[in-house]
Amino acid sequence: MSHLGDLISALLDGELPGSERAAAKDHLAGCEECRAELAEAEAGRTALRSLPQLELPPGVIPGTSPGAAWWRRRPRLAWAASGVAAITVVAGIAFASGEPAPAFDMSTLSDQHTARVEVDRGISTIRAPGGGP
Amino acid sequence: MVDGTPSWEEVARDHGRKIYNFAYRLTGNSHDAADLVQEVLLRVRRGLHSYRPGSFDGWLWRITRNAFLDDVRRRQRRPTVPLPETREPGEPAPGADEVLAGIRLSEDIQAALLDLPFDFREVVVMYDIVGLTYEEIAEIVEIPIGTVRSRIHRGRRMLREKLT
Repeated sequence: MSHLGDLISALLDGELPGSERAAAKDHLAGCEECRAELAEAEAGRTALRSLPQLELPPGVIPGTSPGAAWWRRRPRLAWAASGVAAITVVAGIAFASGEPAPAFDMSTLSDQHTARVEVDRGISTIRAPGGGP
Repeated sequence: MVDGTPSWEEVARDHGRKIYNFAYRLTGNSHDAADLVQEVLLRVRRGLHSYRPGSFDGWLWRITRNAFLDDVRRRQRRPTVPLPETREPGEPAPGADEVLAGIRLSEDIQAALLDLPFDFREVVVMYDIVGLTYEEIAEIVEIPIGTVRSRIHRGRRMLREKLT
C-alpha cells in the first residue's frame, strides 16, 4: 500500500469506513513517515479545537428572551408608540434582559472579552463578562 | 417543535451561537459575524414553511453558507475600509500573564486560520469548530467525500506549518 497521504486526517477523526480503516491502520503500524504526518495533522486539529467557543454578543437575536416577549403578545401597544420610540423600547428591553448569564469559564474569558469590547464599541455600552440581569 | 419542524425561536436559541462562531472564525470580525447570524435567522424565518423534515443541520448550514458567500460577494463589489479589530496601541492590556498568553495563542491561531485559502478554511471550521461530519460537509459544500478528506487534512497541515 502506498502512503496514506490525505486520508490521514480522516483516519485520525474516525471518518474512514471499516474496510479502509483496517488497511490504513495496518499501513500506519509499519510506516514512520505516515505516523509523523499523523502527528502533524493532530497538532493542527488540536490548535483548531483549542479556539474557544464564543458567546453570542447581547442583542444579536432580539425578542427571543422571555423578558422581551411581552410586546409581541400585545402588538397594538407597540404600534401605538411612534416608530422611533418603539424601536428604542424594544432594543432597550432586548438588550437589558438578554440571555441568562453564562457560566463563568476562564478558558473562554479572553475571547469573550475581546469580542465584547469590539461589540460594545459599536453600541456604546459596557457589559461585564459573565454579567447578567 | 411540531411535526419535526423547529420553531424560529428554537433555531435562534439552539443554533445562533454556532452560526456566530462559524462566521467569526471564517472572518475574524465580530460585526460581520453578528450580521451573518441575523441574516441567516431572517432567511430561516422566511424559509421554515418550506422546510421538509429531514436533515435539519444540512438545511440550516446550506442557508448559512449561502448567506456567508452572498455577503462576501457583496463586500467585494463595494469594498469598504475594515474597522480595526485589534487593541489600540498604548491601551492597557488586561489581567494576568496566563490570560495574556491565552489571548496571544488564540489570536495566533485565528490569524493563521484567516491565512488559509477559503476552500480549506471553510471545511476545517465546519469540522473542528462547528462539529459537522465529513458526510454532512460533502452535502453542504457539494463536493465529493474524498475532497472533504483531502481539504480537511491539507487545511490542518497548512495551519500547523503557519504556527511553527
